[in-house]
Amino acid sequence: MNHGGFFFSFRYTYEVSPVFLLVEEAVIKKMIEFIGWEEGDGIFNPGGSVSNMYAMNLARYKFCPEIKEKGLSGLPRLVLFTSEECHYSMKKAASFLGIGTENVYLIKTDERGKMIPEELEKQVQRARKESAPFLVCATAGTTVLGAFDPLDKIADICEKHGLWLHVDASWGGSALISRKHCRLLHGIHRYVNSVAWNPHKMLLAGIQCCALLVKDNSGLLKKCYSAKAAYLFQQDKFYDVSYDTGDKSIQCSRRPDAFKFWLMWKALGTTGLEERVNRALALARYLVEEIKKREGFQLLLEPEYANVCFWYIPPSLRKMEDGPEFWQKLHQVAPIIKERMMKKGSMMLGYQPHQGKVNFFRQVVISPQVSREDMDFLLDEIELLAKDL
Amino acid sequence: MGFPTSPLGFPIRRVPSMGYPRGGVCVCAPPRYTFEVAPVFVLMEGVVLAKLRELVGWSSGDGIFAPGGSMCNMYAMNVARFQRFPECRSLGMAALPRLAVFTSCDSHYSIEKGAAFLGIGTDNVHLVATDERWEGKMIPEELEKEIQKAKAEGAEPFLVCATCGTTVLGAFDPLGAIADVCERHGLWLHVDAAWGGSALLSSKHRHLLAGIERSAAHSVTWNPHKMLTVGLQCSAFLLRDTSGLLQRCFGSGATYLFQRDKFYDMSYDTGDKTPQCGRRVDCFKLWLLWKAIGTQGLAQRVEYLAEEVKRRDGFKLPEFINLCFWFVPPSLRGRESCPDYWSSLGKVAPAIKERMMKKGSMMVGYQPHGTRVNFFRQIVTSPAVTRADLDFFLDEIERLGWDL
Repeated sequence: MNHGGFFFSFRYTYEVSPVFLLVEEAVIKKMIEFIGWEEGDGIFNPGGSVSNMYAMNLARYKFCPEIKEKGLSGLPRLVLFTSEECHYSMKKAASFLGIGTENVYLIKTDERGKMIPEELEKQVQRARKESAPFLVCATAGTTVLGAFDPLDKIADICEKHGLWLHVDASWGGSALISRKHCRLLHGIHRYVNSVAWNPHKMLLAGIQCCALLVKDNSGLLKKCYSAKAAYLFQQDKFYDVSYDTGDKSIQCSRRPDAFKFWLMWKALGTTGLEERVNRALALARYLVEEIKKREGFQLLLEPEYANVCFWYIPPSLRKMEDGPEFWQKLHQVAPIIKERMMKKGSMMLGYQPHQGKVNFFRQVVISPQVSREDMDFLLDEIELLAKDL
Repeated sequence: MGFPTSPLGFPIRRVPSMGYPRGGVCVCAPPRYTFEVAPVFVLMEGVVLAKLRELVGWSSGDGIFAPGGSMCNMYAMNVARFQRFPECRSLGMAALPRLAVFTSCDSHYSIEKGAAFLGIGTDNVHLVATDERWEGKMIPEELEKEIQKAKAEGAEPFLVCATCGTTVLGAFDPLGAIADVCERHGLWLHVDAAWGGSALLSSKHRHLLAGIERSAAHSVTWNPHKMLTVGLQCSAFLLRDTSGLLQRCFGSGATYLFQRDKFYDMSYDTGDKTPQCGRRVDCFKLWLLWKAIGTQGLAQRVEYLAEEVKRRDGFKLPEFINLCFWFVPPSLRGRESCPDYWSSLGKVAPAIKERMMKKGSMMVGYQPHGTRVNFFRQIVTSPAVTRADLDFFLDEIERLGWDL
């Protein structure tokens, strides 16, 4: 009476989905190897946002296991720290988990978008006087600038204060596969308790494909999340019930997302995945160099990853003096170009204002199908669409 | 789109059609947070949700697709909490009194998991007794008592979660009477119809959810990936509210996605209504099936399954289609009065299960429930299942368990 095919596999217990369960375990083990931990645990989730929530809840559970039963009402105010460049799922998670968005303390970043460790230390010291710090979330590959927080120094601070360190490497985690670029996450093997890593981003596994890895072998994930439903997790099964990993999750049925990554990994090999990362970053570098060469294009900053952020300054604004009027006019350029490209259907590129800077474009290079010609086209098309602005 | 990548690097690609409802299908993998990255699917989601709400009996409302019924139930818990205590979003639970949630003791375990996850605490989920007979329905009078008790203990009730189609017994809580209780106490009524929601498609069976249209019912979970056999995941969270509550509860206005200076109507950027960022296009699976077989076709699926089950001789007729039964091997027949009868019977299902799995002939679940020892639970959802399959199923259990 079960449906065949992995599209209908529910993956809460070993019996309904033995192969996919073992595949998930194998993939998690391999990802942990790349992080540099000797052992650990993990689970695949429907999105990096959900992985971040898991980590937040796990850190909270480790801090005070009674919260699972008693809740937070009446307890000291829990606070967590993350960079001002963090992904918005941090605040969403804090709200969802009942911690509260005001208890997410945003740490200042430097001009390259990286968390400033000294600022983190200051904030933790201050917070300890009147609240209960429990978690620091560093970002490896921020959404807009693609910045990597200095994990070594942040780990030192977390170790000193006994705080859970979660690394949101949803975007940047895949750099671990590249021997050339894994230094961006230097320190991740150290005092880090959990990592979110989305192969559906840089490695192009089909969406969703997101893992939460946990540096723990005491069954913390299971203790934190299990509800031991009698209709699924019977203890009198004929097989080793430790294979019923579904109770580590907040979900019931889950898709076999790890399989997509496993299949791709088997097909391309670690070398193939590494080439993907290297190629993407090389192409980003090419785009950066081209932008520097072309009149009218201005880089926001030198990227260290695959996020290329730049302004296009149309001819009419190029002679204008740098000042509020210039920036205000420039702010209006990207939305217009965006509207034109979408109505024309030639391409699609994101823009945003960010940390006091007016609207700029953000090109993120990932796909191995993208070529230098495509990068040239991108810049040519922007010029074409904006020439009368 | 002619470009091999979108600006955020998510490629458009072909995916084989296996598992999708009909024929060859080209499925895009856009992340669906804003209208611009997935315009068709954003509109489609709106249309499908409206259609589901219509079947619930709401002429307007809100909603979103989520990765599973468990997540939908958690959304309900969070939105209900936010509506009652909007400050919770920013200040957290530490600023709130001890909350109380009520649900039947036969409810899905995601209610407890949700309470733990949301910082409410599993101790504050009050399990309401279900009736003594086989049906497993929440007893409204017991709900009233539990609410009074919680209030007397200084807790603040805010949510009742009724279940339409409980996991094990397939029971439907009496929504009308429960809505009365909720109205009296000003509580949010969420209906977990993850399993039983599809009965709304059938004119013969929709009476099971009578009361769902009441104004006390603020939200519904409904999983088309269950009875309608749409590909997993396909779970809808439906909301009666039209004031933008979902957006206010979850929205964060991230400037790299939800800019306010876009050239199109930004109310189409529905991605901020959820705690997720990128989301799969789960609504498309249901839309496609619905288009292919029509509302009539969906109704026929529900009715066929319910009728087939009732046609089989010798079964105690369930309310819906959860077929729960014991197989009593010959060695135990007539020995009901023996003191070890039930403990021996409890060992039968695990043994038969082991045999069927090693043989590879079929798979059916078993569980203990309340004071009842292990019994089988067969739930027929596929329209491909025939009477011959059901005959095989019973014959195979007999074959596997005969010598126990």
